[in-house]
Amino acid sequence: MNTLAFAAITEADISAVRKRHPKAFGNPLVTALKLGSWAFIIVYLAWSLHLFEVGKLFNASDRAWQLISRMLVWRDMETWQYANIYRGIAQTIAMAFLGTLLGTIFALMLAFFAARNTMPGGVIRHAVRRLLDVFRGIDSVVWGLVFVRAVGLGPLAGVLAIWVSDMGNLAKLYSEAIENIDRKQVEGVRATGADTSRIIRYGYLPQILPVFISLSLYSFESSTRSATILGLVGAGGIGMIIIERFRAGLFDQVAFVVLNVLVVIAVIDWGSGLIRKRFIGERGH
Amino acid sequence: MLEFKGLTKQFNSTVAVKPATFTIPDGQMVGIIGRSGAGKSTLLRMINRLNEPSAGQMLFQGREITALKGRDLREWRNECAMVFQQFNLVGRLNVITNVMSGRLFHHGFLSSMAGVFSEKERAFAIRALDRLGMAHTALQQTDTLSGGQMQRVAIARALVQEPRIMLADEPIASLDPLNAKVVMDALRAINQQDGLTVVCNLHTLDTARQYCDRIIGMQDGVIVFDGTPKELTDKAAREIYGAEAEEAFSEALTSTALRPGAVAPAASEARVVN
Amino acid sequence: MASISANGTGQDPVSLFEGHRRQMIRDRMVVNITLLALFLAFLAWSVWISRFTPERLAAGLPRIFEYFGSVMPSLQWDVLFESRNEAGRFPPGSVGFWYNDFWKYLTLIWETILMALTATLIATGLAVILSFLAARNTTPAPWVGVAARRFLEFCRGVPEILFALILVFAVGIGPLAGVIAIVIHATGALGKLFSEVVENASMRPVDGIKAVGGDWFEQMRYGILPQVLPNYTSYALWRFEINVRASAVVGFVGAGGIGAELSHVISFFSDDRVTAVLLLIVLTVTAIDLLSERLRHALIGKEALK
Repeated sequence: MNTLAFAAITEADISAVRKRHPKAFGNPLVTALKLGSWAFIIVYLAWSLHLFEVGKLFNASDRAWQLISRMLVWRDMETWQYANIYRGIAQTIAMAFLGTLLGTIFALMLAFFAARNTMPGGVIRHAVRRLLDVFRGIDSVVWGLVFVRAVGLGPLAGVLAIWVSDMGNLAKLYSEAIENIDRKQVEGVRATGADTSRIIRYGYLPQILPVFISLSLYSFESSTRSATILGLVGAGGIGMIIIERFRAGLFDQVAFVVLNVLVVIAVIDWGSGLIRKRFIGERGH
Repeated sequence: MLEFKGLTKQFNSTVAVKPATFTIPDGQMVGIIGRSGAGKSTLLRMINRLNEPSAGQMLFQGREITALKGRDLREWRNECAMVFQQFNLVGRLNVITNVMSGRLFHHGFLSSMAGVFSEKERAFAIRALDRLGMAHTALQQTDTLSGGQMQRVAIARALVQEPRIMLADEPIASLDPLNAKVVMDALRAINQQDGLTVVCNLHTLDTARQYCDRIIGMQDGVIVFDGTPKELTDKAAREIYGAEAEEAFSEALTSTALRPGAVAPAASEARVVN
Repeated sequence: MASISANGTGQDPVSLFEGHRRQMIRDRMVVNITLLALFLAFLAWSVWISRFTPERLAAGLPRIFEYFGSVMPSLQWDVLFESRNEAGRFPPGSVGFWYNDFWKYLTLIWETILMALTATLIATGLAVILSFLAARNTTPAPWVGVAARRFLEFCRGVPEILFALILVFAVGIGPLAGVIAIVIHATGALGKLFSEVVENASMRPVDGIKAVGGDWFEQMRYGILPQVLPNYTSYALWRFEINVRASAVVGFVGAGGIGAELSHVISFFSDDRVTAVLLLIVLTVTAIDLLSERLRHALIGKEALK
């Protein structure tokens, strides 16, 4: 063994080591590739921000400060029509609940048509899947706008929007759950001589029911979030109140409403977490 | 010279290390023995301040280590390298980068964030790896190595720090006897050839007897023995190990193959390990 | 049998078991019936408060079908792929007629994708830094961790479109407001996921880097980052898919992308232009989902081999 010191390493030592381990000194191609991709990302960001007129950000400080200060200073709190606000929040929750419930019911039917093991016919399965892609691919706010156009302003459009987008999401997730079930358990039930209805009851349901319930609860949580903004396009709920008051320049009230919504959403997440635990135990999904 | 003056560690209500006062002269190889939970690891980790002492002082060459902060503390950690039981290497980086990380203290913010190492550092790292017979693995991803190989990489990383003290926290507890021997031989060689102080936590009595100049025995946070291997009688050892005595002694039986210097570490190469 | 005398009551095990079973079923029945009653009460309350009555639904449904009938394109086979005629116009019933504004839509879709990409890149960068501050095992100081976690919660709690609404007021109409809005929300969402990954990472490499004298930044860069990078990349790609959807919507409040055109088309016309834009969006979103899913699987697959 030889002792060594960093300061004592000479050019000759380096070239001697380089001769024996040339690859340890880094591959120039890899280095160039790394540098190139970082440069590309930076150039892209600079270019795209220029395209989006990032300069506006620096001219906007006056308006931004004005906005922020008016959001933070709450004035005339007795005239804020609280009943209206809380009715809006209640309506939002109700919309999310009804939409998710209807979405769940319809997704249950569609999922079996979209799963490979329950729907061997390729044509129908693919047709159903593409339809689900359309339901999912369009954001619930867009559906909200479409339904407002079709059935008019109000929570009905909101319920329909959540229904359609939840149906798309849930049917896809359900069908994946159905495809992932454990065949052995089903065969075990079949081996006892059970008929089809019993195979479904004891072979399939115990496996997929907890997953389905958990997915629907998750979906309810996310629907509550999307229901709050459906009102921005006129589809009922708290969003309508937010946008009305925002347009009227009542920024302090907007801040108050948003805070309330955040609290309500946190409470719903917590509650649905409790129910999930009850149905599926601690293991979660 | 490393001086301990009443160094104490307290976790909530339990005292892990009761006031410890002793001195380690330069160039000594010290083995700390004792059963698990005796406070060996805490004592060792207090030396490079990975565990903060609750009370007491520690001095190195007259400098008060226990009062260091910020950059000075990091400089001290750079000066006293540590080898861990679980190697504590970055598994997803390659071996040479792991070894070069031993020089991070000398890097500026930008060069360390960008992961840029100089050619001199690369050559130095390869030399260090070569010394432990690991240069051929330089470009492998570290978590593909065996335990024994990883521990040698960890020692190479400690070497490129150019430390003045080498701390080893149960360096062979996760290794099979053959690799344990390679690692202990390497530590002994570093101690004898480079003149580094080596402080080493060991679980097995036999290894400590064979490799160390001095043995410190700990029991429930108290230093109950401090002397040369010869002075450590079987009776004293049984007292240190208490209920774990049989285990420590039987391990000693199985590790009789461990004799220092039987095979030169650089030549051992240990291809067996895979 | 030993077990009969062992339970001390003298009852045989079958009747004991049956007794237990009945008790358990009774207990579960009570809970289930309570839950069902709560569920029904909640349903009734929801129907009442959102005025979702059958007659309103019955009145609404025909209008939905009527509306979707009016926005469907009227395509005719014989002229489907007909090009412009002498007057420079596409004949009615051809794809060209349906997609008269195709290039305009495509420019806007392109802008939408760029918005999502820029926002994802910036949000990922911010989330990486914030995740190290927010994770309980790596936070430099407890109060920094708490502050970072609260900040991330706020960022992901408020929907993009709401941030967009406010930002359009502050920085004016255009994609910049949309990009910033998506950056804020995505930073919150990614920051939380990232910090969970960090909390599950091994702290041993961090100890190793600490022991060589590395500062906090070096501990994160060398100790944590290599461990979490594959997960980070996968999450960032997944977020990109979501951001494409979001950037198609922020235009509703004037924050750039295809959203403004979509909102305009839906609100002012009820003809085939609606389906033209919607179809383009669905195709874009689906294509990006597929692409990103491929990339993610390639990434995870590569990891699984190691």
